[in-house]
Amino acid sequence: MSNRNIATNLLIKQINQSDAIAYRPGFLASPTDSNFGVLNKAYEETGRLYAQLKTAVDSGKCSTPTCEWEIKRLIQLEGAPTTTLDFLSNFASEISTVEEPNFDPNNNFAYTIANSILTKKPSFSKTDGYNVELHLLEDGSQQLIFTGPGFDEPLLVNSSTLKSLLDSGTSIVAPTPNIDGDMSALLLETGLFDVEDTMEDGTLGPNAKITETFVLKNPDGTFDYEILDIGNGKGRNILQYDMDKIKRKSEPFIDAEIAGLLSSEQYAVAAWNVYISKGTTESEDDQMVQAANAGDNSWSYEFDLPLSYEHKELFSVKYKDYFMNNYLIQFTKNQLPTVEEDAGILDLAQAQQAKAQKFLDDNNLN
Amino acid sequence: MSYVLVGTAAVSIVSGIIGGASAKKRARAEAARKRKLQAKLNMLEKNRQKIINPYENVVSLSSMLSNPMANLGVATQAAEMQIEEADISLANTLDTIRSTGASAGGATALAQAALKSKQGVSASIEMQEKNNEDKRAAGEQRLQEQKMAEEQRMQQADAAGKQFMFSTREGREVTQMNRVAAQIGGAQAAQAQAQADQTAALTGTISTLGSLGAAKLGQGGSN
Repeated sequence: MSNRNIATNLLIKQINQSDAIAYRPGFLASPTDSNFGVLNKAYEETGRLYAQLKTAVDSGKCSTPTCEWEIKRLIQLEGAPTTTLDFLSNFASEISTVEEPNFDPNNNFAYTIANSILTKKPSFSKTDGYNVELHLLEDGSQQLIFTGPGFDEPLLVNSSTLKSLLDSGTSIVAPTPNIDGDMSALLLETGLFDVEDTMEDGTLGPNAKITETFVLKNPDGTFDYEILDIGNGKGRNILQYDMDKIKRKSEPFIDAEIAGLLSSEQYAVAAWNVYISKGTTESEDDQMVQAANAGDNSWSYEFDLPLSYEHKELFSVKYKDYFMNNYLIQFTKNQLPTVEEDAGILDLAQAQQAKAQKFLDDNNLN
Repeated sequence: MSYVLVGTAAVSIVSGIIGGASAKKRARAEAARKRKLQAKLNMLEKNRQKIINPYENVVSLSSMLSNPMANLGVATQAAEMQIEEADISLANTLDTIRSTGASAGGATALAQAALKSKQGVSASIEMQEKNNEDKRAAGEQRLQEQKMAEEQRMQQADAAGKQFMFSTREGREVTQMNRVAAQIGGAQAAQAQAQADQTAALTGTISTLGSLGAAKLGQGGSN
């Protein structure tokens, strides 16, 4: 099912994005009917029903002496427009997630089709065999029914069930967290950078550097550079970082971020499927035809929720790797010295010799 | 109701639904953000490093204090020697008196001198003993003062330790809580705003739908 979801969701997304259908011969020539008349049909008989019920109550000709059923139905009918709007806006808000750029294609593809129908995307019209109906049920709830060739079976959505789901803080289509924004904020929270490196909008400035506390130094207090071979017998000093210290400092904050993500497990599943499992960044995804996704390693919303302890552990490990490899690395790799006189281009052999000699001197090994 | 009016109402309903949907989505996103921040805050507080009391291992040294003057001895050996010397001197003098034939009165004077010398020695011992007693008392007083000072040092250290722990924890918690509380507050405000937008969108639409319903009712009534 997971692969089916991925394949169908990505296909619909690609079709919508590519405008390919606009170039299909005959498409523009044929009439398209996307007017489903959902509300008109749903309320078609309500006027007559309301009048009948009202008359029955007013004239005392009800099914029971107290007119209990008739009065209940009248109240339901009077509240029906509000319920309809609430229901439709709830449903529309949920399924609009499928249009987000980082949408997880492991979500149920039926919602992507439903969204395509409601937003009148080409190929999802009445002409193409799709239909949507709204039914006002006797218990006061309402039901949307989507049908068409893309569905395995009709998609039924009940208003009261949807409302209770949403009220409990869950969702029928899981949005993918803004991992880029979260991890950029996390960089700041780790305390590895000076406060002065923070810009007004709360992000790291372009010249931000990890504080000297985390840079490796010699016993005499000078920086312990790594000499980078830049070719042609030349080299440059680059800072070396105490990665163990960095890890120890940043880990509590990363753990807290992970705990935050796991407070809504469906978000964690989306993050896993879209980013964490494969380890690709948003910028890398932007360069691909389709954003990378977990594929066969995907977690299913249907079968993997609630997440097991093993899933959570794996998520935590991979999340940390993702942070280190995609966000922190830019501040720990190939960083030039902050001391101006150490930052120039060096003769590689001489610099290496001097470094070796310094090691011998510092450790009394001469 | 004319087709134009129905068409206009339909557009209004659709835009109302879209507006409401968008506001609802924002409200839910902010609610989720708030949940996330709360969980994050809980984890940060749970995992923060234990605050140490730097004065924890301060111990009272009063047991090491003692009165060095407590067991002062009296120099009786010198006194005994002095007495022996006085006795020897008296014996020698008596021998001389006997050999020279001096009177008994001279012997008596000598015996008195010897007695006086022994009395002097006794007075010296007494003085030493009194002197030692004074020193012992002074030492005891100093010891009590030192013990008191040490106990005060201990109490101050304990109080300073508690103060340090309190202020450190307080400072850190306040900073943390301020930061995340501000974020949670932001999420709450955004959620409230989104809910207000959603209400506004739906209120306008309900009136449109109401008029549409009234028109339908009219149709139903005429049927």
